[in-house]
Amino acid sequence: MAEYFQDYITVAVFAGFGALLVAAAVGVGWLLRPSRPSAAKATAYECGIDPVGGGWSQTHIRYYIFALLFLIFDVEAAFIFPWAVRLEQLGLFALVEMVIFIVILLAGLVYAIRKGVLKWES
Amino acid sequence: MTVTAGWYLALAAVLFVVGASGLLLRRNALVMFMSVEIMLNAANLSFVAAGRQLGVLDGQAAVFFVMVVAAAEVVVGLAIIVTVFRRRATASVDDLAGLKG
Amino acid sequence: MFDYHALLPEFILGATLLVVLGVDLLVAPRRRWLAGAAGIVGLLAAGVPLLTLAGVGGTREMFAGSYVVDDFALVVKGLFLVAGAIVLLASMSYLRGDRYYEGEYYFLILASIAGAVVMASARDLITMFIGLELVSAPAFLLAGWRKGDLRSNEASLKFFLIGVLSSAVLLFGMSLVYGTTGESTFTRIAGATAAVSGESAFVLGVLFTLVGFGFKIAAVPFHFWAPDTYQGAPLPVAAYLSVGSKGAGVVGLLTICYSAFAGARDVWGPALWVLAALTMTVGNLTALRQSNVVRLLGYSSVAHAGFILVPFAMAAAFEGPALEEAFFGSLTYLLVYAFMNLGAFAAVIAIAERTGSREIDDWAGLARYSPTLATLLGVFFFSLAGIPPLAGWFAKFVMFKAVLGDPGNAWGVSLAVIAAVNAVIALFFYARVLKAAFMDPAPESLPEGAPLSRPLAAALVITLAVTLAAGFYPQLLAFFGEAARGLALP
Repeated sequence: MAEYFQDYITVAVFAGFGALLVAAAVGVGWLLRPSRPSAAKATAYECGIDPVGGGWSQTHIRYYIFALLFLIFDVEAAFIFPWAVRLEQLGLFALVEMVIFIVILLAGLVYAIRKGVLKWES
Repeated sequence: MTVTAGWYLALAAVLFVVGASGLLLRRNALVMFMSVEIMLNAANLSFVAAGRQLGVLDGQAAVFFVMVVAAAEVVVGLAIIVTVFRRRATASVDDLAGLKG
Repeated sequence: MFDYHALLPEFILGATLLVVLGVDLLVAPRRRWLAGAAGIVGLLAAGVPLLTLAGVGGTREMFAGSYVVDDFALVVKGLFLVAGAIVLLASMSYLRGDRYYEGEYYFLILASIAGAVVMASARDLITMFIGLELVSAPAFLLAGWRKGDLRSNEASLKFFLIGVLSSAVLLFGMSLVYGTTGESTFTRIAGATAAVSGESAFVLGVLFTLVGFGFKIAAVPFHFWAPDTYQGAPLPVAAYLSVGSKGAGVVGLLTICYSAFAGARDVWGPALWVLAALTMTVGNLTALRQSNVVRLLGYSSVAHAGFILVPFAMAAAFEGPALEEAFFGSLTYLLVYAFMNLGAFAAVIAIAERTGSREIDDWAGLARYSPTLATLLGVFFFSLAGIPPLAGWFAKFVMFKAVLGDPGNAWGVSLAVIAAVNAVIALFFYARVLKAAFMDPAPESLPEGAPLSRPLAAALVITLAVTLAAGFYPQLLAFFGEAARGLALP
C-alpha cells in the first residue's frame, strides 16, 4: 500500500506546486494593478463587439436532435475499434459482417436525412 | 499492496446506492435519468472488476454492449423528456400526475 | 458455429425492419399502411423457418452456448411473431384515425418483437440483457406515441424511468452473478453455483435479477407503472405491452431461473412465492374499483402475471415430473393469456371506436345496438376470468394441477387457495363490465361510431378462433407447452 501511495505523493506535489504558481501570479497582479471600474468594463466580453441579449439564452431544440444523432453514431464506433484491431486474424467473415453493420447504420442515416432531421430551417 | 477487486466491487455498490437514492429523492426527470446512468455505470464497473480479477475478457466485452445500450437509452429518454418539456415547460415529475387510480 | 438455418428468423426480421423503413420513406403518406402490411408479411415469413426447424428437431447451440435454438425457443418465438402480427392488425385502423407517424410505429413494434425473439434464444447474461433492452426501448417511444397528448407523455416518461431503473437493477444483479460465479453462460453459471451458493453477493445478484424482471412483468410491488402506462399509451400499444413486453419478461425469468439459477432454487422459490401471492391479490383487488376499462385491463394483466408465476414459484420445491409440470403450467398459461388478452384488447379497441369512450358506464346497453361486439367482449372477458369451455379455463386448470403437483406440500396448497380466491374475485370485475354492456339500459341517443375496420376484424377473428379452439381442444396449445418441456430438465 505504501508504494501505491508514493506514486500519488508525486501527483500531490505537482498539484500543490501548480496551485501555488497560480495563486502567486494572480496575487501579484492584484497587488500591482490600478483599479478604475467603468460600465463598459463590466459588460460581458464577446470578441470585442457590443454584447447582444442576456447571458442566459435558450438553446434551439435542433441542437438536441443533432446531439442525439451524433451520440448514436459515435457510440457505434466502440464496436468498430476492437474489430479493426483484430481484423487480420478474423478474416473475410468479419469484414462482411462489419460491412453489413455499417450498411444498416447508413440506412439509418439516409432515413434521418430523408425525414429532414438534418435540415436546419424548419 | 495493490487495490483488490473487492474494493472495486465496494465502489460499484456505493455508486449503485448513490444512483438509486438520486432516483428516489430527486424530482427532476433529467436528474433522475442521470441517476439511472450512474447505476448502469456501477454495474459496468463491477463487470470490469470481475472480468479483470478472473483474467478473462468477458466482463470488458459486456461493458461495450452495455455502453451502447445506455447510449440508445439516452437517445430515447432525452427524446421523451424533450417532448414532455415542450408541452409543459417543466421537467419535474411531480407535475405529471394526470394518471391515477 | 454459425448456423444460418437456426438464425434465419432473426435475419428475416432484420431485413423486414429495413424494408419497413424503406417503404415508409418511399410511399405517399396516404398509403403508409403498406409498411404495416410489409411488417405482417415479414412476421409470417419469419415463422416459416421456425416450422422447418421444428421439423428437423434437435437443439442447436451457437456462440459457445450463449444462443440456443431448442423447442422451447421455437414455441416462444412463434408466440411472439403471431402476437406481433395481431397487434399490427389491431393497430392499423387506430393509426389511420389520427395523424400519427404510421411508418415509424410499425418499425418500432417490429423492433420490439425482434428483441423478444432474441430473448427466447438467449442463454447468456449479456445476450439476455441486450434482447430485453431491444424489447423495452421501442416500447418507451410507443407509449409516448401521441406526442400532443399530455397523458401519453406522462405514460411514456413513467414507463421510461421505471424501465431504465429496472434495467439498471437487473444489470447490477447480473454483474454480481458474473462476478461471483465467473461465468456468463447460463449452463456454466448453473455448474458454478454450488461453490458460491452461500455467498451473500451471489444471493443478492439473484435477487436483483428477480427484481429487475419483476418490474418488466409488472409484478407487485413493482407494478405501479403498468396501469398508468396502459391508460396513457395508445390502445394497441397497451395491448402490445401487456402481451409482448410482459411475455418477454416472463420468458426471460423462466429461462434464467430454470437454467442459470437451477442451483439457487432456495433463493428464487420463496421470493417468487411472495411475488405471485402479492401480485394476484393486489392486482385483482385494485381492478375491482376501476371505472376505466383500460385501467381495469391493466390491473387484470398485473393479476395474470401473478397467475403465471404461481406454478413457477412452486417449481423450486419440486423434483422430476412435478418440476416439469410447473414449467409446463407457466408456459401454457402464458400462451393462452397472450391470445385471450390480445382478443380482449382488440374488442376494447373496437368498442372504444364504436362508443367513443373507455368508461364502463358509457358502455351501457352495448348489446342492444352492437350485439356482435358485446358478445366478443363477453367471450374474451369470461375467458380471462377462466370460465369453461373457453381457453382461460384450461390455463387455470394446468396452473392448479401444477401447483398441487405435490399434495403434501403446505406451501403449494396455500398458494393454490390464494389463487382460487383470486379467480373468484376476478370474476366480479369482469362481470361488472359485462353487466353494463348486456343488462343496463342503452342511452337515449346512441353514439355515432365508426364501423369495424377489416384489419381489426381479422385480429378479432384470429384471437376468437384460438380462444374457442384452445378451450374446446386444449391439446392444441398443450401440444406446444408439451414440446417446450425440455428446458425444465436440469
